[in-house]
Amino acid sequence: MMKGFVILIGAALITAFTINHFSPVGIALIGDWNTRDGVISARSKLNVVVHSREISLAQARALYGQKGVLFVDARPAEMYMAGHIKGAVSLPVGELDRLIEAFARAHDPDTHIVTYCSGRQCQDSHMLADRLSDYGFSHVKVFADGFPAWKAEGYPVE
Amino acid sequence: MNERIESFLNHPWAELSVRWLLGGAFVVASVHKIADPAGFAKIVYGYQLVPHAIINLIAIVLPFLELISGAALMAGIYPRSAALIIEVLLSVFIVGISINLVRGHQFDCGCFAMGAADRPSAAGLLLVRDLVFLAGGSYVLGYGGSPKWCLWHPTTG
Repeated sequence: MMKGFVILIGAALITAFTINHFSPVGIALIGDWNTRDGVISARSKLNVVVHSREISLAQARALYGQKGVLFVDARPAEMYMAGHIKGAVSLPVGELDRLIEAFARAHDPDTHIVTYCSGRQCQDSHMLADRLSDYGFSHVKVFADGFPAWKAEGYPVE
Repeated sequence: MNERIESFLNHPWAELSVRWLLGGAFVVASVHKIADPAGFAKIVYGYQLVPHAIINLIAIVLPFLELISGAALMAGIYPRSAALIIEVLLSVFIVGISINLVRGHQFDCGCFAMGAADRPSAAGLLLVRDLVFLAGGSYVLGYGGSPKWCLWHPTTG
């Protein structure tokens, strides 16, 4: 039984690493799982998490309310309805294909956009930021701590 | 009554059915993990049971252990070894799910990106399912007769 055990496990290991290496959805051998460094990710080949886009709660608060700054909520519509940063518009990543064209037409590409979702375990804000920059928005930031941190701090919600 | 159950369990068709069901379940379970390793890595992260450094390695290797051992069990290639791997995997799953049930931990990142198919199912149901699978695996491991329709079943395998 030992021989079969070793052969099957060996086959699984070789197949796993080979396919992961060549697969378009493959992931890095070590992921980015520490929330202290920002939003977590498996660092896949399709990775959208770019830490340099991330801003802190204090930075987000400083931008909030300034002229030409728009907060965009990446969470599902039901979560947006249940409560969101005051003045933020909803652009759920699950419905992006349907909604993003209209959003891009309605807003100046120079708008300073701050995306957010549910915090550092949530990549939706980065996914949204990635798509918005593809659509020509060049000032896109990600508020990494998202709605829970904003609300906990007592900042304006609606 | 006991004799009837025994003769049923000793029947080669019973052994073959269990191998196909269990192997098939593992093959099916591996498919969406292989299609979305990043999503699966996030589920592993969500269990909060393994060091961050090995999350990705688990997400890369585990689905292929499931696929290869499941397929080997179905095809009858080292079927007992395949059943043993499946038993080890199931034991790990059972321990992991139980720990999180006991400590009341359920991961929900409140995100769309994980996808509906990857949402954690009810832990209790998963636990029952895995215990049933575990029993099936022990049956294959302990089966005394000669298994049916095996591509490669050396007496040691």
